Amino acid sequence: MMGPLSVNDIISGDTNFLLAFFIGIAFGFVLEQAGFSSSRRLAGVFYGYDMTVLKVFFTGGITAMTGILLFGLFGWMDLSMVYVNPTFLTSAISGGVIMGAGFILGGYCPGTSFCGAAIGKVDAMVFIGGLFLGVYIWGFGFDLWKDMYVAGNMGSPKIGEWLGISDGLMALAIVVIAFAAFFVSEWVESRMAKSGKEN
Amino acid sequence: MESSSPTKKVRAYMNPYLAGVLLGLVLLAANFISGRGLGASGAVKSVVVTSVVTVNPHAAESSDFIRDYEKGHTGNPMKNWLVFQMMGVILGAFVSGILSGRLSLKTEHGPQTTSKKRLIFAVAGGILFGFGSQLGRGCTSGSALSGLAVMSAGGILTMMAIFGTGYALAYFFRKNWI
Amino acid sequence: MKEELIISGRMNPYVDPTLNIWHWQIPLYLFLGGLAAGILVFAALSYIRGREEAHPWAVKKVPFLAPVLLVAGLACLFFDLNHKLFFWRLYTTVKLQSPMSWGAWVLLVVTPLSIVWSALHIREFFPNWDWKYTWLKEAEKFANKYKLALAWVMLIYSVILGVYTGILFSAFNARPLWNTSILGPLFLASGLSAGAAAIVMFTRSKEERAYFARVDLIIIGIELFLITHMFMGFMASTQVQIEAANLFLGGPYTAPFWIFVVFLGLVVPAILDVLELFDYHVPAIVPSLLVLAGSLMLRFLISFAGQESRYLY
Repeated sequence: MMGPLSVNDIISGDTNFLLAFFIGIAFGFVLEQAGFSSSRRLAGVFYGYDMTVLKVFFTGGITAMTGILLFGLFGWMDLSMVYVNPTFLTSAISGGVIMGAGFILGGYCPGTSFCGAAIGKVDAMVFIGGLFLGVYIWGFGFDLWKDMYVAGNMGSPKIGEWLGISDGLMALAIVVIAFAAFFVSEWVESRMAKSGKEN
Repeated sequence: MESSSPTKKVRAYMNPYLAGVLLGLVLLAANFISGRGLGASGAVKSVVVTSVVTVNPHAAESSDFIRDYEKGHTGNPMKNWLVFQMMGVILGAFVSGILSGRLSLKTEHGPQTTSKKRLIFAVAGGILFGFGSQLGRGCTSGSALSGLAVMSAGGILTMMAIFGTGYALAYFFRKNWI
Repeated sequence: MKEELIISGRMNPYVDPTLNIWHWQIPLYLFLGGLAAGILVFAALSYIRGREEAHPWAVKKVPFLAPVLLVAGLACLFFDLNHKLFFWRLYTTVKLQSPMSWGAWVLLVVTPLSIVWSALHIREFFPNWDWKYTWLKEAEKFANKYKLALAWVMLIYSVILGVYTGILFSAFNARPLWNTSILGPLFLASGLSAGAAAIVMFTRSKEERAYFARVDLIIIGIELFLITHMFMGFMASTQVQIEAANLFLGGPYTAPFWIFVVFLGLVVPAILDVLELFDYHVPAIVPSLLVLAGSLMLRFLISFAGQESRYLY
């Protein structure tokens, strides 16, 4: 049995949808348990009073990244069949900037807003309403930003290809950066806690 | 009932590193089973496309946005991996909220602001995030997190742009949060 | 000379016609009928067992929904008819081997019974209700005197109504998915579960809610058992039955069936009910709405998938 299961037709497309639902349950459960259903906790990462987002995000990222690389190494998964997000230079950066502004204003990102709404956070529900509005605006004005959307198409490169190093080495570098970030965030949190006491 | 009754106390959040490992395993499972990462904004897009096509099929045919969507998708836009996944997310979060005693209808806001202001900012943030996720081809989950897991250059760029902008603007909106 | 090869194969829609004549009306009617049957069964049962005071909502208040649901269901049936003005023809015949005939007659009994039952409890909602005419007052006295007998008749007929909603499909033996005797008990169980969920949703009494949540748990267990056996039966049968089951096991109905019917409609409400019993805070409306939605989806999916399943290969 070799993954990805649905791409290799080991499971049907419809079974894939069913499993998507169960993956979603686990996703939502973990996000909520981590506290991602609280906008103040999410926003904390930008002010240093709560670095949970950074810790969970990077731990998740490096766990999955090493897992995927190992699965490929063991021959359990055909890495060429795994979807790699394409890179459109202009839209990747400008979209990210707009999302960053949305994050600091709204306090949620789309996934976490659904978690917040599921446990009754009104601000999350309102945020979801905003999401829909945003996508409608995007859709109705599509002609205006169509060129920007497709500009700077670079295919689907991996970050290692850009820097000219192998995937394994790049992964190691990302893991090291992540651990450095954990160290920094623990330090920032403890400092914030101290200064909070002094005030 | 004894004082250990679980309804009475709100349970603490999970250790962030443990939650991160679990999150990573979920993401790994998504890649192993479906050959793709997690996401959220794509499900919103499916609903938007469905609503546009349902309400005004003629306008939808001539819209580049709909055509762009239909290039990559066949069949009913609601029969979509992310739509099923997001239904799971809502359920998973709901059950987690029950188990931890966090289920309650409320508006969360910083000590220096009001609920009303918080909600206005939430809508504005939602609009920006909705728009940005379309431009950036995915949100924090679909582009940044899933992109990081497969080491996509674009995903990592988007991640840096999101958090970089967040930090750059944090000072101006500090009254909303602290 | 140009040669043209024309192949009329199985892709031609007229070669293997699929039955596509039952739209939303039939499954919606089956849901409404099943829900009404469930509500009436619990009203009658609780009354017969002398639990009128312990289960006030089940006996006296929630049954008010039944006539509304039944009339709405009948309206659905009526919309489904091609020759609407000939509906009365159903009542010119009694055919024991026709489930439609059974259904028509059972409805003719159950609907007035549910109206009478509601009328007996009208003072729950209008304490100063007055029937105005002497003959109505006499009728009320009469019905109250024989209320126990009335409850028994209502119980028996609502069980028949609940079973019949499934038999309507299973008697249609030209569709392999429907041709299983499990559909009768499955639809009855689903209707009972929906009825219990409706009581849980409306009741203001904590004891009553806990009681019917437990009842619902047991019925959900039975439903899961029946669904498992339905698929085991299909898989152990001929190729056409296996193909019919495969509509749900990897085919186009996989995700909707297992997500909406089995998981969201049965497993999740069961888990929530258990959590509630263990003193976690669960809003009553959530498991109830999930059960109701699952029950509705079960009818829709069995109806639509059944029309797609076929003998021709």
